[in-house]
Amino acid sequence: MRIAVLMKSVPDLVEDIALDEDSGQVLFDEMTYVPSEWDDQALEEALLIKEESGAEVTAVTVDTGDSDNILFTALAKGADHAVKLVGDYDPSLTNRRRAQIFADYLRDQAFDLVLSGVQAIDDIDGQVPGLVAGIMGWPHASVVTEVHSKDKGVVLRQEYAGGLVAEIEASTPLVIGIQAARKPPRYASIAKVRQVAKTQQIEEVEAESPDVPTLAVRRFYKPVASGHAEMIDGDVEEVASRIIEILQERNLLRR
Amino acid sequence: MIGQDILMVLTILMFLSATGYFVYRMLPIFRVMQQARSTNRLDNWPKRLSFMLGQVFGHRRLLRIRLSGILHFFIFSGFVILLIDIVSAIGQVFDPHLVLDAPLAFVVDLWALLVLVGIALAVYQRAVLKPERYHGSDERDGYIILAMIAVIMIGIYLHESFYPFAAPYLFHVHAALNPWGFVSYAMGHLWIQMGLAHNAAVAETGYILGYLLDIGMVFAFMAYLPTSKHLHIFLAVPSIFLHKTRPYGELVPPMQKEDESMAIRTFRDMNWKDILDLFTCTECGRCQAVCPAHAAGQPLSPKMVILELRDALRKELGGGEPVPLAGGAVSAEELWSCTTCGACQEACPVFIEHVPKIAGLRAALLEDGEVDKNSQKVLVGWDRQGNSFGQPQRKRPAWTKVLDVPIKDARKEPVDWLWFVGDFASYDPRLQELSRLVAQILERAGIDFGILYEGESNAGNEALRMGEFGLFETLAQKNLKWLEKAEYNQIFTTDPHSFNALRNEYRKFGFEKPIRHYTQAFLDLIEQGRLSPSPLGIRVTYHDPCYLGRWNRVFDAPRQLLEKMGVELVEMPRHGANSFCCGAGGGRIWMEEVGIKERPADNRIREALTLDAVNYFVVACPKDMSMFSAAVQSTGSEDRIKVVDVAELLAQAVGLSVPESAVAMK
Repeated sequence: MRIAVLMKSVPDLVEDIALDEDSGQVLFDEMTYVPSEWDDQALEEALLIKEESGAEVTAVTVDTGDSDNILFTALAKGADHAVKLVGDYDPSLTNRRRAQIFADYLRDQAFDLVLSGVQAIDDIDGQVPGLVAGIMGWPHASVVTEVHSKDKGVVLRQEYAGGLVAEIEASTPLVIGIQAARKPPRYASIAKVRQVAKTQQIEEVEAESPDVPTLAVRRFYKPVASGHAEMIDGDVEEVASRIIEILQERNLLRR
Repeated sequence: MIGQDILMVLTILMFLSATGYFVYRMLPIFRVMQQARSTNRLDNWPKRLSFMLGQVFGHRRLLRIRLSGILHFFIFSGFVILLIDIVSAIGQVFDPHLVLDAPLAFVVDLWALLVLVGIALAVYQRAVLKPERYHGSDERDGYIILAMIAVIMIGIYLHESFYPFAAPYLFHVHAALNPWGFVSYAMGHLWIQMGLAHNAAVAETGYILGYLLDIGMVFAFMAYLPTSKHLHIFLAVPSIFLHKTRPYGELVPPMQKEDESMAIRTFRDMNWKDILDLFTCTECGRCQAVCPAHAAGQPLSPKMVILELRDALRKELGGGEPVPLAGGAVSAEELWSCTTCGACQEACPVFIEHVPKIAGLRAALLEDGEVDKNSQKVLVGWDRQGNSFGQPQRKRPAWTKVLDVPIKDARKEPVDWLWFVGDFASYDPRLQELSRLVAQILERAGIDFGILYEGESNAGNEALRMGEFGLFETLAQKNLKWLEKAEYNQIFTTDPHSFNALRNEYRKFGFEKPIRHYTQAFLDLIEQGRLSPSPLGIRVTYHDPCYLGRWNRVFDAPRQLLEKMGVELVEMPRHGANSFCCGAGGGRIWMEEVGIKERPADNRIREALTLDAVNYFVVACPKDMSMFSAAVQSTGSEDRIKVVDVAELLAQAVGLSVPESAVAMK
């Protein structure tokens, strides 16, 4: 089975999001980027499939200037190939265009399975896997937590609201949005990533910038706080009486 | 003549077969040592020699457990005496005129008796006292060895006591009972009374039996040794001579080749002393008895790690399929339980180094991606933000903002002291108060000091001890960028872990600036008259941080500092080099506490609570502040004991106002 894992980096939320409040623009160049954690889950699931029943895993990114480390890390963890789709792209690349670039690449390759993070902090709707499937006309499953290879297809677990889980059989080719891998993602030691960077190659594939429908974002801004928490100071007695007061104010105390 | 001839031939045959078998069993071990990594253990040999003599003849470490040390001394010294007997007994067979001089005969008889007393005590210890430390050891081996030694002693008495009666027949010489050899003398008279002495056949049989029980058993013993814990008879003394010296706190030596890994996957990844260690282990379990992870009920025993590795190597040498060492021979759970506190190495009477092996095995697990998930987050955080708190690098100096006098930026201007703050003292809100207090003390003393602000990253001490050498290297390089550029005369830190890394581990990169722990530096300031504390008049106990005490041998400075502040120090039973770890080291502070029955920190607080009228538990490490404050709460001892940092005491003693929140609890 040949598996492609689509990966990307997202702004590191440990740092503040760089936003020019006057112009309403996100300053993409002024942020630091980290691998999207759901893509890490997708890679882990792909590697688990490989370990369980054999597969060839290829990690794929669109080069927005910082993808080498993601790819070398994927190789260090056990991916067989790493592909960087290169063109004139920067971190402001939209997910719609990113999905088109991925799909253009995937169309020429004979992958059975395409995995990617079901969501990322910059596309909370889980756009990439769904968009890629839609563009390619492939079947798609989302919010998946487990994938096993079976006969010519796969068996996957999908979670529904309300605590219901389905086990689904699907035939390949297929695009899957991974919510979580069966196990927490493995660690790639710095030395191993460094060693891989010296010994293994990232395959670079030219990818032309496709024409895609775009949204015009008028402005970005920080959410306006609508209320705030009250911090209760004082010793135990004072704190306790203030809590009782609050409960009484809201009619939460039964007399 | 025929009897003597048979004995001579027999002796030679026994000698050849025993030594031949011994060498045959030992050679493969030495071959493994040859293939292992190198380490220089012959530097400064006069000092090594005198150290070794003190340990061997003074039994310094062994005597820490009184009964055990004394009985070992009896048996050990018996072996020295035994040499005299072997020479005389075998010599007699070849040259019947050789007779032990009076004093020597006395010494041999007396020591054989002492050895028997030692064996009786050893059996008493094993069978009656049953110390927990023997759990997991090969007890059968222990009893076999004790029995063999007892048989040898009985053999000595037996052949000595029959010698005068058998000599005329066997060796055609006349000999008399020697009153100096008082036990055999008494036994000889017993044989006379029983009418056995003057029966040629009985006398000959008695002598030969005694000779075989003595010399025959000595050779049997030798053949038995290579597969027994008693190989330490030969290996312990060299092992002590070859012990790790300076820098003691350095976990991993500089890598000799590019791309060399600290990971131990096969026995070739260890150094030759590591291999020697496996066969030197006496299974005494002193390491197990002091291990905080073992005490907490976790699956780790340093002794078992050594024995599991030894057994794996033996199996391999016996032609068995090699098993993975990390996660196979030694389980991942064992390896991740270690706090790297070094108590095991401190207790080991034969100077085995457990911690580097554990860290090397951890590195192998880590390379395979196997690591506790909480600590994985910390490793990633160190890589991305340079701290374990998941906080942005730029917030590292945030604690300095509310200070009245701004701290100099050592990246921009020269300073006298460069303060390396460390993660906990920078980011932990409670410890930030403490850091500000330290800044005020330095100001009060008129010290020209600065910090590296965002230029400082975690020192990498814990990353290295979790087996992540690459990350340690990355962090070290980040720090060295500024440590080498900035102008300063010495480094100052409150954090023993940073202290250890900067002092011992950064040498690999050619960095050798002087560094002082705040307890040392504050003591200097008082001695120079730059700080004048007034007596506090309190009774406290002091906890030695592992990375200040054991790994860097700073025991006196904190104690003298307390004395200068008019503080009465009451020592806990486990103090100084025998201090008991808080449980935080080696990355444990971030790992899940699965299977812990009693947290090491709780255990420690309970120890402090046994002290009479001691209400303060003084710490000199930011992590200790976190660990022990939590332990005081979880043991419900808030009204009995208070955890205070040595800087809080000093601040109070020099009249600074100590913010209530700096104190861990009311």
